[in-house]
Amino acid sequence: MATASRVRRQLPVSPWLFAAPGLLVIGAFVLYPFVSTLINAFTDRRTLIEGEFVGLANFRELLHDDMFWIGLRNSTLYVLGVVPALVVLPLLLALLVQKNIPGIAFFRSAFYTPVVASIVVVGLIWVWLLDERGLVNAVLETIGVGRVGFLSDQWLLLLSAMAVTVWKGLGYYMIIYLAALANVPRELHEAAAVDGAGAVRRFLTVTVPAVRSTMVLVGALSSVAAFKVFSEVYLMAGPSGGPAGEDTTLVMLVQRTGTGLTGRVGYASAISVVVFVITVALMLLVLRADRRSET
Amino acid sequence: MPVSRRKLAAALAVCVVLPLSACGSGDDGGSSDASGKIEGDITFQTWNLRANFKDYFEGLIADFEKKHPGTHVKWVDQPAEGYADKISADAAGGTLPDVVNVSPDLVAPLAKAGLALDLDKDAGQYRKEYLDGAWASHQIPGMSGTYAFPWYLNTGPLFYNKSLFEKAGLPADQPPTTYDELFEDALTIAEKTDGKVATLANVPTVEDFGRYGVPLMNQEGTGFAFNDPKGVELLTKYKELYDAKALDPQALTATPESSGKKFLTEAVAMNPGSALDLGNFKKQAPNLYKNIGITDQITSTGHVNMYVMGVMVNSQTKRKPAAIAFAHYVTDAQRQMSFAKKVAIFPSTAGSLDDPYFTEEDGTDETRVRVAAAKSLKNAVNYTPVLFSEQMKTELRNEVAKALQGKESPKEALDNAVKACDRLLQQQG
Repeated sequence: MATASRVRRQLPVSPWLFAAPGLLVIGAFVLYPFVSTLINAFTDRRTLIEGEFVGLANFRELLHDDMFWIGLRNSTLYVLGVVPALVVLPLLLALLVQKNIPGIAFFRSAFYTPVVASIVVVGLIWVWLLDERGLVNAVLETIGVGRVGFLSDQWLLLLSAMAVTVWKGLGYYMIIYLAALANVPRELHEAAAVDGAGAVRRFLTVTVPAVRSTMVLVGALSSVAAFKVFSEVYLMAGPSGGPAGEDTTLVMLVQRTGTGLTGRVGYASAISVVVFVITVALMLLVLRADRRSET
Repeated sequence: MPVSRRKLAAALAVCVVLPLSACGSGDDGGSSDASGKIEGDITFQTWNLRANFKDYFEGLIADFEKKHPGTHVKWVDQPAEGYADKISADAAGGTLPDVVNVSPDLVAPLAKAGLALDLDKDAGQYRKEYLDGAWASHQIPGMSGTYAFPWYLNTGPLFYNKSLFEKAGLPADQPPTTYDELFEDALTIAEKTDGKVATLANVPTVEDFGRYGVPLMNQEGTGFAFNDPKGVELLTKYKELYDAKALDPQALTATPESSGKKFLTEAVAMNPGSALDLGNFKKQAPNLYKNIGITDQITSTGHVNMYVMGVMVNSQTKRKPAAIAFAHYVTDAQRQMSFAKKVAIFPSTAGSLDDPYFTEEDGTDETRVRVAAAKSLKNAVNYTPVLFSEQMKTELRNEVAKALQGKESPKEALDNAVKACDRLLQQQG
């Protein structure tokens, strides 16, 4: 019995040694910051000053902070604007480049290029294009439409940032769809064609059901990314978050509130906790919708 | 090979704690007394200066080490972007360098957190070497003491595009010299160009309110006061300019960099700058350079605005005598003068601005700007309150934008901005 209990209390060391580097990294860069953020959310900690426990005061303040509601509105609008486009358009793009015809590799690479480009470079290029005196406005002026304030109107700014997110994300999700499309049996398409189904019908009745789980994955990934948007809006609307801060997103608010020598780390952590909760809820919502449509 | 849980737990604990132990600063027996011997290793951090001035700083450090045998200065340079965040992280993590290049708004929170050395106490003997205004620029309202050596100063003229003035029927050799003239000319240019050329590219900042003669803080330094009638008057004038497109429509989201670019591309007629910009105009916009006009900063107070850089000593340094000696060495009259001859900045040491380098023109635009700037610096003011944090700047900017868009009246907007800034000030402690 004693030997058996000693054996039970002993663990093989090798798996732990293999896992140790990963565990250390996760512990230091994921778990510790996460727990620390959770704790800070209930304190009035500032960058250089240790805070005291303030209970739910930060969350109560959030309810009365106009900028928080603006951030929540913009992040939500971002999800609603970007996710449908990123679920559908890359699929269409993948169908276009799926066929093995001469020169198609060039188009596949071209569509993927924005993914590997630096977001800062991409953002700056779009700022130049959409500037009052940029290329897009020059074209609009030439055809008689007149100048459009893409970078000075709060809604056009948000829409422009969404367009950049979609443009930059197309190639990434296209690759995911290409992998899914490769697994769709050709016989299904052939059978549908024999039954007289046209291209649109085949797309709706064969392709979409076959890649539905991939669409859910893309929906989940893009909705989380869209809700946490920062770079595109920051680069196009500026550090103040557009005119009067009306284009501020929640993550921008976290950055603005919690960084710098006078940053309110406790309050910014409370906003981060809200972002985390909403992000998890979004994931659950997408997965639940998928499960419901399966039954 | 099986191993017991206890041994495994101990091994993991060692793995976790061992790397962290490297973060400790360790006590190497240094001196925390300012009057002790100047010796030991110190770290000096600059703000985006390595790219252009590597040789200057390496020479300066070598000279210091030669003058004080037994000292070793490790120089680190941080990029301009995110500099405040880098200092924040170092300050919070206890790894702040011994000597740090700072601006007054960075010093304030560090001093409040007890991380900046009070030079009035530990290095008061050097005070007389610097201009009074420059020395005072690192004093914090509500605290006694001075928390950084003043380093270089900068100010600059207002550049204007003569060609755009002429196109609007305005005399190119008579730029505006008062706020009334500025607003009048701006409205004329907007009207004559059908709103295609704006005169200004930035919304008013706290510095603009100060230069207009608006009191920025109350006497005690415990609250902001830029919502007074004079402040409302300035914002009302900017609203008129915005409506007439005399203020660039993208001003609400502009940064100093973006407005500088607008001036380069001749989309706006005027822009503040410094002697450094002349070289940029010559290189990047030769057409603009041919038409460049240079005039004085417009101010209602008689004092132009100046920017001040400082060198702070970390109060937690273990090599206090060496850190103070080095911070003083970097900022003394000889070093500042030699640095000023390498780049278009101005020394903060007493008497340096009377050097012929800053008083005699040779007929070029560069020397004209330099001499005019040096003259105006003698009674210049750093309008931005040291307690005005980045968050406060954003609050003011957003409220100003609401007033310009007509969502709030100028009075409401400034009242809201003052309220928000006061709240942030209280939260700073």
